[in-house]
Amino acid sequence: MALFKQIQSAIDNSIGRRRLGYLLLGLVVLFFLWFPNDTSQSNYAKTVFISGFFYAILSSSWAMLAGIAGQFSFGHMAFMGIGAYVAGLFARDGITVAALGIALTPESISAVGAIIIGTIAAGAVGLVIGWLLLRLRSSYLALFTIAFSELFRIAMLTEYDFTGGSNGLSLRPLLEVADVDTARQIEYYLMFGLLVACLLVMYRVAHSPIGIFLRAMREDEDAASALGVNVVRYKILVFVFTSMIVGLAGAIFYSDVGSERIIPEQLEVLQMSLIIAYACIGGMESLLGAAAGAFISRYLLEAMREVIITLPFGLTMADGSDAFVWETGAWRFALFGLVMVFTLRYMRNGLLFPIFNWFSGRDLVLKETVAKRKHDDDHVAMLEDQDE
Amino acid sequence: MKGKSLLVSLVILLALLAIMPLSAIRADGHCEFAEDSITIGALVPLSAPGSVEGGISMQWAIEHAVEGINADCGIHIDGSHYRLEVAVGDSEGSPERGQAAVERLIFESEADAVVGVYHSAVGLATMTMLDENGIPTVFSEPWNDNVSANGIIEYDGRPPRSADGIDHVFRISPTSTMVGSVVVDWLLSLGVENVVLIAENTDYGQPAAADETARLEAAGVTVTQLDVELGTEDFVPILSRIQANPVVPDAVRLHVTGETSLNLTQQMAELGIAPTEDTVCVTNQYAFQSDTYWGTVPDGNYCAFNRVGIIPSLFNEQGIELNEAFEEAWGKLVPSFAMASYDAVHIVADAMERAGSFTDAAAIVDAIEATDIELSQGRYHFMYGSHNPDLPEGTPAFMWHQWPDPIVTVMQYFEPNQSALNAAVIFPEVYQTHGTSYIVPGTTP
Repeated sequence: MALFKQIQSAIDNSIGRRRLGYLLLGLVVLFFLWFPNDTSQSNYAKTVFISGFFYAILSSSWAMLAGIAGQFSFGHMAFMGIGAYVAGLFARDGITVAALGIALTPESISAVGAIIIGTIAAGAVGLVIGWLLLRLRSSYLALFTIAFSELFRIAMLTEYDFTGGSNGLSLRPLLEVADVDTARQIEYYLMFGLLVACLLVMYRVAHSPIGIFLRAMREDEDAASALGVNVVRYKILVFVFTSMIVGLAGAIFYSDVGSERIIPEQLEVLQMSLIIAYACIGGMESLLGAAAGAFISRYLLEAMREVIITLPFGLTMADGSDAFVWETGAWRFALFGLVMVFTLRYMRNGLLFPIFNWFSGRDLVLKETVAKRKHDDDHVAMLEDQDE
Repeated sequence: MKGKSLLVSLVILLALLAIMPLSAIRADGHCEFAEDSITIGALVPLSAPGSVEGGISMQWAIEHAVEGINADCGIHIDGSHYRLEVAVGDSEGSPERGQAAVERLIFESEADAVVGVYHSAVGLATMTMLDENGIPTVFSEPWNDNVSANGIIEYDGRPPRSADGIDHVFRISPTSTMVGSVVVDWLLSLGVENVVLIAENTDYGQPAAADETARLEAAGVTVTQLDVELGTEDFVPILSRIQANPVVPDAVRLHVTGETSLNLTQQMAELGIAPTEDTVCVTNQYAFQSDTYWGTVPDGNYCAFNRVGIIPSLFNEQGIELNEAFEEAWGKLVPSFAMASYDAVHIVADAMERAGSFTDAAAIVDAIEATDIELSQGRYHFMYGSHNPDLPEGTPAFMWHQWPDPIVTVMQYFEPNQSALNAAVIFPEVYQTHGTSYIVPGTTP
């Protein structure tokens, strides 16, 4: 403990925690930029990372919606699905709106065009849902979004002629690169770039006056409204904003970047609960924490499919191998559940929150404020004693 | 004293750990295996939202097949014996996770061949990847027609897998079309004119009902469809609609799964709708689990049901052995997808031996195309592939790299509390066990 305090003091007196944090963050970004160039890594490792980036976007945008704006929604995966399904259906069938004189054939819609249409559709539905949710709070809001999510999933499942049902819908590939290795490298950078861009945009919004209004809304909607915050506008805005982010992520990911088809099972409440769990583990009120929580969780869930222990002293197993392989596939979600229980009981701000908090130096400010208040209280108490 | 006990315990534990693997090696010592081993990738669902029960059964069957092959000194190539190893990939029933699992099997586990796959969506999402990476693959459960059809025709914008000269993907499970046609063909053979279809409102019930409706209507049969929700327990209001209709249906066909299908069948029997002398009752294949069936449907005698997979009375020696091992492990009759997974390993192993290689994918594919082997589900062969690329006119594209003879039958109970093992096979005629295509209620075959 003393050593830790010495190190902490040395950092505070030299580079400073915040700068050290930015330095480490820069190193993490450099690692992610270098990773696909590591020739010892297979495409499988890159796929795991691509999936991690995708879930990091979903989780951090949910943290924006629920952690910062206080809108505890279960509809996030549905909005992701709207982006993907609309992009897939438009690219496959095109669109004709006779009244407006619009006639787009599938051939005239590029993969990028379909993704944009999917993103706009997700935003448009987010607008409607945000408007419908204006009078709903807490558990009613959660129930409404669960109902909406299930409605969408069942529609995708039962309208099989149109959506492919449980066989899923194949989206138009975004990239047409013949070489598999090159394609995977581009997909990796595309998804990583999308994650960085989404985090930057969300960070900018969260740290703008809009972010302050959203936090005020989260703490007390009535009080925020009384103080002049246009609750209606910001509630709808945050729904549209986060819906478009996940719609975009879904449309890109399922355009053969992370997967070549989307299925309705991907929109189940179980999948949504995983997104919430990632955000809770990383830190619901921190965009970076939620993203890191999702990425690390996805990575560990994949890595924990089996545990390999190399046997010592030249021992071998019955099959001649020199390692004991423990198939932990069925247990990894149980372990994940235990981590979740621990987090909610003992570290409600997330497992990563103390680390981010330390680097931000917020604990120093807190200590200073507490010390100042204590000093003031002591001073007042002393004056009262003197009066008596 | 406490420390001494701990020391003794540790010594015993270490001794056990040391002895355990060594003794196992001796037990396997009758075979001299080559240094290299052959890895079979098992792509099965082992986590939600996939069908975990199905995945576990398939994994068991694949490992059981590998154990049996290794007990016979593995795969014999050029005078060497190669041990088989299984690398399991959990598809989670999701295309996204299935694709990641396939990459793991190919790049991390370096699988020489892949077997398994339960969900069609996973099969559709991974077949191109497996083909592009040159992995000989035998799918054992996905039903979607396009899984095999994409071998020679375009699907979802993807060119035929054989366009580059070699298609690595085979299938030994039936296609949706094969499954769907059996009950319709049987009903038409009975001369029905008016059929009521009761379908659950899911992606299983609706397409299955739509497919059968189209086939029946094409043959001039009048079809009335009623939809129900899964989990419903009281079907009287829906069934009352059938009773209220002055025209008595010739058959009532259920496209409802699980326990719900049993509740519906019982209520239908209780109300005297079917089975009767005038109306044929066709329930779900779940009725094959006879103990469960009679527990919930005590009035369900004379109901017919479809069955995918070989029927117990037709089990050959391998099938009997496999079923006994499965029953010992799981306490129930071996399901068709476990049998198919078991057979898929043997098909690959047999092809590798005939190809004289476990790395030459082209030679292995050629050998699989030339397969002619008797396994637990019967004789395996592939009619159409690069060895016979021209499908005659009228032959559906899904027959490409498709085992043509998966057994799909219609069975019928004719005694109360009858075991499924004794139920009559009534259709197709070639598999009939009691010389009749329908046992009229109140009679015995």
